Amino acid sequence: MTRIVALAQKEWREILRDRLFFALSFVVPALLMLLFGYGLSLDVENIPVAIHDLDRTPQSRDYAYRFIHSRYFDFKGYVTDESQAAELLGRGTVRAVIVIGHGFGRELSSDRPAHVQTLLDGTFPYRTQVTKGYVEAINTAVTRELLAGYMVRVKGLSPSRAQTYVDPVRLEVRYLYNQGLKSSWGVASKLIMALLLMCPPFLTALGVVREKESGAIYNIYASNASRAEFLVGKLNPYFCIAFINAMVLWGMACFLFGAPFKGSVTAYLFATVLYVLCSTGIGLLISILVGSQVAAMIITAVVTAMPSMLYSGLLTPVASMNWAARVVAAVFPSMYYGRIIESCFLKGLGWANAWGDMLVLAGYGAALFAVGYAMFHKRGAA
Amino acid sequence: MSAASLGNVLGADRAARLRVWLRRAWALTVKEYIQLFRDTILVLFMAYAFTLDIYVAGVGVNWQLNNAGLAVHDSDKTWASREVAGRFRAPYFRNEGSVSTVEEGQRLLDQGRLMVVLDFPPRFGADILRGRQTSVQMQVDTANSAIGSLATSYGGEIVGRYGLERALNVPELDMDKIHGVPFIIDETRAWYNQNQEDPWFMALAEIISNMTLLSILLPAAALAREKERGTVEQLMVSPLSPVQILAPKILAMGSVILAGLAFGVFGVIIGVFHVPVRGSLPLFFAVSALYIAFTAGIGLLIATIARNMAQVGMLTVLVFAPMIFLSGAWTPPEAMPSWMRLLMDCLPMHYMLDAGFGVLLKGQGLGELWRELLGICALGAPVLGLSLWRFRRQFG
Repeated sequence: MTRIVALAQKEWREILRDRLFFALSFVVPALLMLLFGYGLSLDVENIPVAIHDLDRTPQSRDYAYRFIHSRYFDFKGYVTDESQAAELLGRGTVRAVIVIGHGFGRELSSDRPAHVQTLLDGTFPYRTQVTKGYVEAINTAVTRELLAGYMVRVKGLSPSRAQTYVDPVRLEVRYLYNQGLKSSWGVASKLIMALLLMCPPFLTALGVVREKESGAIYNIYASNASRAEFLVGKLNPYFCIAFINAMVLWGMACFLFGAPFKGSVTAYLFATVLYVLCSTGIGLLISILVGSQVAAMIITAVVTAMPSMLYSGLLTPVASMNWAARVVAAVFPSMYYGRIIESCFLKGLGWANAWGDMLVLAGYGAALFAVGYAMFHKRGAA
Repeated sequence: MSAASLGNVLGADRAARLRVWLRRAWALTVKEYIQLFRDTILVLFMAYAFTLDIYVAGVGVNWQLNNAGLAVHDSDKTWASREVAGRFRAPYFRNEGSVSTVEEGQRLLDQGRLMVVLDFPPRFGADILRGRQTSVQMQVDTANSAIGSLATSYGGEIVGRYGLERALNVPELDMDKIHGVPFIIDETRAWYNQNQEDPWFMALAEIISNMTLLSILLPAAALAREKERGTVEQLMVSPLSPVQILAPKILAMGSVILAGLAFGVFGVIIGVFHVPVRGSLPLFFAVSALYIAFTAGIGLLIATIARNMAQVGMLTVLVFAPMIFLSGAWTPPEAMPSWMRLLMDCLPMHYMLDAGFGVLLKGQGLGELWRELLGICALGAPVLGLSLWRFRRQFG
């Protein structure tokens, strides 16, 4: 025990003397939380749109005004020919062009279907899907009004009766867990998970390999501290830093971004301890396995930084991934912790719902430590 | 250029000096190559970053509503409710059958086993037959707001279409069969990616992200290592200028990254995902080479600031994380607040992404890409210059 304390003390001193590193280890996660919390949003609004009106009748202008006044679109002006539309889409100045065909007004006045065309920039499929949804919603609304008007004129229904007639089934949507559909709530709480997988491994990744490269590891090889004592002592300060970071991020998510925390605090704290152990453990394991600091950093970046965003369910849910990505997602602790965050934050649940994932996290941490213990030898590489 | 013609252009004396200069720089480049390739684990991981990682990101991650679990709480049990529920179908929704109580649906939503529960009121079918307005309730898990709003949008579309069909009294909203009523018929075309294949977007975004990551980290680590071990002092007392010390690092790391990129583009992006190359591949690689060189400048700047590798690690996260995740590869710029978009315009990777998609998917040429090229150069050159200046001041 005293040996662990001594090793941890040595590690603490080393960290504290490196002022820049010590400062950065707190500044980086908080700063990234700030940037991503505001920036990493998927609420696509104000899509830049241009309108190509071939018809130029009162009806076509009315139709165009639907897009001009919609809060989902940002009207960039009319275009006069197809090549101009192509140029705007190519440069990314607009993401959609609405083409109103010849005879739009004439067809509608004589009670016939009228044609429009929507050209979308398809490079980012999510944005394209959302834009398409907005366009369809506007078209459905316009069609309903046209039909209601038609019923009043031709079939002689009263206006309110016609309204009901064209819209017999309403869809009442109840948004669960996130009533305002605020992506910042979901993103801010999940960011805790992503940033805790991104930053702490970088803290620990160099822990062992640095001593290997500088040769200081021979002091450990020659000392009477056991392998386990060395690893625990090594992990201690980094774990504390990461845990403090976790608390800071938690505070930021709740107070700065207003994410509601409705669940059990103790369950969340316990899960966070387990998760921070896992994420610092990943860095330590990499540090044990590789031979150079460069390799340790590259591997940490490739193995933790990218998946923390991609496969953790931060932006796209794990359920909609295919099997290959789901396997990758299951290999990282973030998926399990992400589920706990979701149930503790937005869903307002606690222990009963999270114990299974906690068990996985605990097993994960234990496995990391066991592998690290097995791979770390007190004899230098032969 | 042959030695003789070089002599003619510059004069024999200056040509000889240039040859020595180049030979020295080359010797250092070879040293960087050897050092890089001796680190087997590192090389393996770079290979992984440009192949398997791209593949998994391409096939695995998608941005569409896919396979969302749905259950029905049907208090009506008529043809109408079954008809509407039946329209929530694959690939967007996965019908998990019915739940007998509202509480059961709530419990399944809580556990994350379901994403949507549809609730049909009693007399739903009877109301429709009688021409009375009725409603169906849709409970959506919006903990992930992006997917939640897609589900809502599809739900609205399905129910809206059903309503119009009932109103027109047609079995299916077939555009050719609707006559004699005013109606908007919309034809949607997604340019550049007709079938909306997610892998095209994801794989390209991922390979450019990985390229950025390695371009920052490799040169930063290479220089910081020399500083930490003190070998940089040896280089300073050798007859090498600061440019001769830094340029080989960019050249060696950059060429390896470019080779990896080519491997990934030909092997995975074209080979597996069949991304149509509508523009010129040489142009794509030329822009990438320029981008890698300038991004390496960021890495070198980090290395001049950091005293040891641990600091390099933290500084790299600080720089590359915003650079990659806010550049438009992960969230569309349209979703960002305006001040964030200003920041985005300062990220070189934003221009690289536009240029990459522009050349490969849109078939743009040099004439259309001048803005992107200008962005990459105008942001990269000062950083590269600054790192050179700092390096010279530290060790000159």
